[in-house]
Order: sequence, then structure tokens, then C-alpha cells
Amino acid sequence: MSVQSSVEVHTEWGIVSARQAGRNLAKEIGFGSVDQARVTTAISELARNIYLYAEKGEIIIETIEQYHSSGAKKGIKITAKDRGPGIKNIREVMEDGFTTSGGLGAGLPGVKRLMDDFDIDSVVGEGTVITAVKWLR
Amino acid sequence: MHAAVLEMIYNQRNEIKENWSEKMTLVRNDVFKEKVPKTLFQDTNEEFAALIFNSFDAELEDGRAFLRSFAEKLIRMGWPLSYFTKGMQTFRRVVLESISSGSEIPSKKMYETFYEIEEWVDEMVNQLVDEYSGSWETTLHQQRLALKELSAPLIPVFDNISVMPLIGTIDTERAKLIMENLLDGIIEHRSQVVLIDITGVPVVDTMVAHHIIQASEAVRLVGAECILVGIRPEIAQTIVNLGIDLGKFPTKSSLRKGIETGMELTKRQIINV
Amino acid sequence: MRIPILKLQQYLLISVQVDLDDQTALQFQEDLLNKIHQEGSAGVVIDLTSVEMIDSFIAKVLGDVVEMSNLMGARVVMTGIQPAVAITLIDMGIILDDVPTALDLEQGLEKLQQELEE
Repeated sequence: MSVQSSVEVHTEWGIVSARQAGRNLAKEIGFGSVDQARVTTAISELARNIYLYAEKGEIIIETIEQYHSSGAKKGIKITAKDRGPGIKNIREVMEDGFTTSGGLGAGLPGVKRLMDDFDIDSVVGEGTVITAVKWLR
Repeated sequence: MHAAVLEMIYNQRNEIKENWSEKMTLVRNDVFKEKVPKTLFQDTNEEFAALIFNSFDAELEDGRAFLRSFAEKLIRMGWPLSYFTKGMQTFRRVVLESISSGSEIPSKKMYETFYEIEEWVDEMVNQLVDEYSGSWETTLHQQRLALKELSAPLIPVFDNISVMPLIGTIDTERAKLIMENLLDGIIEHRSQVVLIDITGVPVVDTMVAHHIIQASEAVRLVGAECILVGIRPEIAQTIVNLGIDLGKFPTKSSLRKGIETGMELTKRQIINV
Repeated sequence: MRIPILKLQQYLLISVQVDLDDQTALQFQEDLLNKIHQEGSAGVVIDLTSVEMIDSFIAKVLGDVVEMSNLMGARVVMTGIQPAVAITLIDMGIILDDVPTALDLEQGLEKLQQELEE
């Protein structure tokens, strides 16, 4: 059974509770301190993007399992969903240093590097769904 | 397999086996680089032949188990897979030859017979290849673990100065582990200066250099300093030829010089008494 | 929430004890600059030993604090960045290379002293 928690993000406090939920789950399924920090930071980036660009949305954090010939592996999956304006040019936002918020422009490409799997699905005017997975080593 | 074929093989088993054993001596020269003792080779061939003939009348499961134990034995002895595949190919050739020379099989059934034998040989080979690759994957996995454990300790040499000798090839996974060891060690020993010694790293390409640069940046963030030592001439050449910029942190040719720099950075020096 | 800023002779000491949220970080930026102005401090040590996560926004705020303080004539040293935090920052491509660092508060103060003597 997968453990799942969902956090609404529409204030800055949503960012804080989302990353706390992420850290707790990461700790629970046995991630080391570095990977805990990676997962928490990725959640923080995703939640902040929702808050900054879509105003509200949700972060879903769950455990997942995948079966292989060499056994099963466990991981943590983050889904960030919003009904905001969508991303016009996905390639552009994935470039290092690209920013519309005056930040470091490390957000989305940073999340991609912090996590193992990363996927963006966005429709302009309808919203964005970003999923990112970190596997237990 | 077709009863007539089985019967034919069974009737001529001694002849087939003799033929096969003879041809296997050629395989020996082909497959093995080093000399294999003659008796060992013959004994193994005996067992191999028994395995083949047994596979005709044994139950499917028994045949499998027999094949598996034979595979394990070959792996243990370190014999190449080609010994088995060539052995099977030779066997097929011998059987087909005796079928075509004999008249027991009607010529119109010939194609069908060929096909059946082909299928049977393939099945045996596939199964053994599976065994071999399975065992190979396990070995690979164990070696990976062993390599991980070997992964770079941080050694404190003086107060606030530590050395991390890197040995062997550095891939992404190992680089991550090395970085964690390095940073945790810095905190534990309160090291202000870390010397990363790459004398034992055979190749420094862009990837490896990237990992080293990242490690040194992380070291700086936790509040220490990195000096890269043990840069051999050929490594210096590749670094420059690849256009890798290591200008941001100090490099020294030897561990000794690195330690002297480390002493300077921590406001100390070595003097003769 | 406000982060306490302590004064020690000509220095300011800050030990951040919680994971920073955006508002706290921005508030801290403002408080620190005011305090530097008020006290005419020559140096600042920001200790991050208890901080378990720094994302790109917080990193930006901290980097800005250093730059702004420098403009006001105060040197800033960051200390105690945890390995996990450092690795995460590097993963994201944030290297904060203009920010002086030290292992802990004690070495941070030493570093400040050295830099101010030069």
C-alpha cells in the first residue's frame, strides 16, 4: 500500500507544510540525510512555483514501488498540480538561469537534477502537472 | 523430439559420442588460451556428453537441474561460455552428419528432423546462456558493492588537515558517495583543509573533473578548502587538452607540497629541530 | 517569526535555528541590514548548523544579504552549512561563490578577524 499525503498550497505556509510532509515521508521510508534534503528541496521549489505562478494548487507526496528482475525498489513520488496559466515554453523554463521571478533560475532544472525521474505536463490556460521521483538507493 | 530421430541417435550413440569427442579436441585449441589438463578436459567432455544424452530421456525438470549444475561447474572452473556453445554446435554437426549418411530417415522427413535438432540445440544453449549471464550479473552486483565499500576514506593527518586518496575509476554513483564521505568527514574531524589525492585515478576526463569540481565547491560551502594533489603529467595534459578549468582551486603536484600549502593556509609550518 | 541577531563587540552573530520560510528569510534580511546600520558593525557571522534545507529562493536571499551587507561595509561569513544542504545546493547548480564560509561559529569569527586585519 502506498502512503500518500496531499498538501494544499495557496499561502507561503503551504510551502512549509508540503516540505515537512515530504521530509517526514522520506525519513520514514529510509532515505539518507542527503536524499532527504534533496526531496525536501525539490518539494519546496515545486510548491513555490505553484504559489508564485498559479496562486493555488496541491502537492501530492506518495511512496511508490517498482518491480524488476533484480528485485523491487522503493521511491518517493512528488506530484505538483495547479490550474494556473500553464507554461508556454517548457524548454525555456528548463534552462539554467532562466527566471521570471527574479530568483536564481535554478528552480525547475534544479528539481530535475535533485530527483531521478522528472516530467512536466502543461497546457497554456489550463494548468500544469509536474511529477518527480526519487528512488531509494 | 521425433521418435525415429531419438532412436537413430540412441542406436548410434557410441559412434556419435566418439566422433564428437574427437572434434572437441579442436574446440579445445580454439576456446582456451591456456593449456587445460588433458584428463580434466576429457572428464568434462564425458560429463557434457552424459548431459546431452540424458536430456533426451530425462524429465524436463530433471534435465534443467542437470544442466544448471553443469553450468555452475563450468562457471566455477572459469571456463568460457564458448566451450559449451561450440560443444553443442559440434554435437549438432555430428548428429546431422550421421543422419544424412544413414538411410533411416526418409528424405522427405529430413527437413523436419533438421528443424527439430536445431530447436533442441537452441533450447540447451539458451538455458545455459541464461545461467551464465545470471551468474555474471550477480558477480557484477557484488563487485559494485565491493567497490562502494572501497570508496575513499578521509584521513586526518594534522589538526584541521585531512587527506582523501581517490583510487580507481570514478563514476557518477561513486562520485556521489565520495562527496558524502568527504563532507561528513570534514565535519567530524573539523578539517579546514582537505587534500584530494588523485594519484590513483587512472583517467581524468570531463566527467571526472566535473565531479571533482563539484566536490570542491561543496567542500567550500561547508566551510573548508580543497587542494587537488597528485596530478601526474598525463593527467595535466588531458585536463588542459579537454579545456577543463580547474583554476578555481589550488592544485599541487604531490601530497607533500599539498600538505605544505595546507599548513600555510592554517598558519603553520614544518621546521627542523 | 523573527530570527534573533546578537551583538558581540564589533560583530553581529546570528544562529538560524529553524528551516527558513520565505517571509522569515526576507524579514531577517531587513532586520540584519537595519542592525548593521544601527551598530556600524564590521562583520557578521550567520550560522546555519541547524538548517536542514536551503532551496533556490532562500539561497538567493542569503546571497543577497551578503552582497548588501558588503555594500554597507560589513563582511559576512556563513558557517555550519550541513553536508546534505551543501550537496543539494551543488546539485541545483547554486555555488554561492561570493560567500565566504567557515566550519563553525568559532572559525567563522577567526576568519572575520583575519579578513578585517588584512
